Amino acid sequence: MAKPKIATDWLDVCSGCHMAILDIDERIVDLAKAVEFTSSPVTDLKHPPEDGVTVGILSGAVSNTHQEETAKEMRERCQILVALGDCAVFGGICAMRNFFDTEEVLRRAYVETESTAPNQEVPRSDEIGKLLNRVKAVNEVVKVDVHIPGCPPPADAIWFALTELLAGRIPVLTGEHLTYE
Amino acid sequence: MATVNITINGKKIAAEAGQTIFEAATEAGIDIPHLCHHPALPPEGACRMCLVEVEKQRVLQPACTFPVTEGMVVHTESPKVIEARRFVLQLLFSERNHFCMYCQMSGDCELQELAYRYNLDHWVYDRPYPKLPVDSSREYFVMDHNRCILCRRCVRACAQLVGNHTLGVKNRGASTMITADNDVPFGESTCVSCGTCLSVCPTGALMDRKSAYLGRDIEVEHIKSTCTHCSLGCGMELVTNDNHVLRVEADWDAQPNQGLLCVMGRFEPLWDSRKRATTPVVKRDNRWAGAEWDEALDLAANELGKCKGSVEGLVSGQATNESLALFAKVCKEGFKSDHVGLLTGVLPEPSGDFDLTELDLADFFIVVGEDLTVNHQVAGFFVKRRVTEHGARVGLIGNGENGLAPYALFEWGEDETDEAIKMAKKAEKPVVIYGVGAKVATLKQLHATLDGKAIFMGLSPAANARGAAAVGITGGPGGQTKGLYILACEEKEMPRGIKAKAKKADFVVVQASYLEPWADVADVILPCPVAFEKQGSITNDEGRTLSVTAAVESSVKSDEETLKALAQRLGL
Repeated sequence: MAKPKIATDWLDVCSGCHMAILDIDERIVDLAKAVEFTSSPVTDLKHPPEDGVTVGILSGAVSNTHQEETAKEMRERCQILVALGDCAVFGGICAMRNFFDTEEVLRRAYVETESTAPNQEVPRSDEIGKLLNRVKAVNEVVKVDVHIPGCPPPADAIWFALTELLAGRIPVLTGEHLTYE
Repeated sequence: MATVNITINGKKIAAEAGQTIFEAATEAGIDIPHLCHHPALPPEGACRMCLVEVEKQRVLQPACTFPVTEGMVVHTESPKVIEARRFVLQLLFSERNHFCMYCQMSGDCELQELAYRYNLDHWVYDRPYPKLPVDSSREYFVMDHNRCILCRRCVRACAQLVGNHTLGVKNRGASTMITADNDVPFGESTCVSCGTCLSVCPTGALMDRKSAYLGRDIEVEHIKSTCTHCSLGCGMELVTNDNHVLRVEADWDAQPNQGLLCVMGRFEPLWDSRKRATTPVVKRDNRWAGAEWDEALDLAANELGKCKGSVEGLVSGQATNESLALFAKVCKEGFKSDHVGLLTGVLPEPSGDFDLTELDLADFFIVVGEDLTVNHQVAGFFVKRRVTEHGARVGLIGNGENGLAPYALFEWGEDETDEAIKMAKKAEKPVVIYGVGAKVATLKQLHATLDGKAIFMGLSPAANARGAAAVGITGGPGGQTKGLYILACEEKEMPRGIKAKAKKADFVVVQASYLEPWADVADVILPCPVAFEKQGSITNDEGRTLSVTAAVESSVKSDEETLKALAQRLGL
């Protein structure tokens, strides 16, 4: 039987949740034996394969149009979508900007920041994703099957969720696995 | 009380008639989750977290308000109940900012705890992200409306426990907000900073400025002790971490205060900005110099010894029973003191034993020569809540401003005591509360007519006045002496007359926690611990002996050690 395939990607993120996957330590060896990693932010393959994967993992919130596309592509190409970490699950730290107007946020970041050289402008180009008016959790954009909250999620919660998925079950996180640290 | 037989989760329980399902379940050890309910507060039924399934009832019922009836069968964790609770939690989380990652209550929050309990791993509803204000206009604690779930515990605590009615709600529905008075900043409101709202808040909406982010509940210790800042002797819980008192919390089981505290006990001791006396200091050529303990003690014993026979001992009521006994001995036997008194004075007549909780049954209060909003605030809260919640009436006797005046129906002069007596005779349960400002003649008149009818409660100006009386210290400051020995503890103010007396004296020894205001008059200052560092007991106005527990280690000698060292030098 072919190994189940996993694809991961990150959206608006500090990358901590992807690092948290490494916190499962030596268990990653067993995981690598059991599954096939396809695309991820740190592999050459950036997009999930067109013929699809079993599990897609997204960390980070959806803040711009580019991330919206990434989230939709992952949803289309995976059977089970996992939102990993507080930003993906709730919006997290990124959602702090929801208390401000988007233009105000851009101005603060690119024009008014103390370290910015004078006469700078907000960069605008068709090449760059456009900020959404509001930062969203992944489940506000696409259907999510498994939520693993935490900033970052505990390694045991990630391991538990992955092993449950491998066993063909949808994981239900409880107790310690859910406790925010 | 009649017994009502009910069944909760298959367990047969004999409940008391009139109890709510919540109360009966709690007594039987069955935990029903709740947010708006608090055991010290009357039920509100606002949050719907405590919904339970009651057989033969059409819909789920809130356990906190639903009374038990014979044969009732209740399920507290059925699938239907759990589904409803998850729904309620989803709604609560959908309203405001409940991102735990930047909340100081994370780990101790009742809302967060329930989200864990019911496995809320994500939010299902859209979030409006309202931009709500943070009100930091109050000195000791902050209100962050973004964390508020509108449970109204604070509103009920302010009204029904403290009788202050500062807090309320404004607007309706999703725009509902907790507000103070007629919508003014909390710092400009009628708030008395007792902190009762802070102690009942289930989330991070009310935040203590001193202790925020300094330790979660699993990292701290809770140590029960007694407040020594007035003569009520309120029970409290000191929250400590790494030999520091982080904050003072309510001890809901404590008598007589039942969880209430005031600004003097809860906040002021931790916010005292005066310079601590950490080592003995002596005055030489009008300049202060640090000294070794032995040197300072020798000097104190020798110089005061020279004044033998004309030494006055003055002690703060914040001293424990144990140090009072030693102080009296050192003064009387060591320095042959002709007068040992309480620094802050005494009542015009000593009070007998009483039970402060009787205030909760009274329908008429005569308050004589005492401002309960300043000196004995928790007793003031008892009176105010009795007035505002139960229609009791207050009459004040005595001149001068009184913070209780807005609650009083009558303000009499001393010559109108007859009027007060007339009213008291008509009342069912009158209580006479008197303080240091009461006139002896007025009290005599009240006793002559109301003994047997009214309960008399004397509230002393010195905290441990009863303990002092037990070792023979029954008066206030006396006349001029050559030597002066003051055990000042944490007293902030030098009572009138003491300064002039000290300036005239040949030698003044002060044992104090802080240099101010004593550095001005003393010749030697011996450091002493603050209340949180003391071990011993005090006797409150009621006559109750209460333990004072050292919650943190002291860096200075205890009062007893210092007094014993002096006693030894005096050959006692």
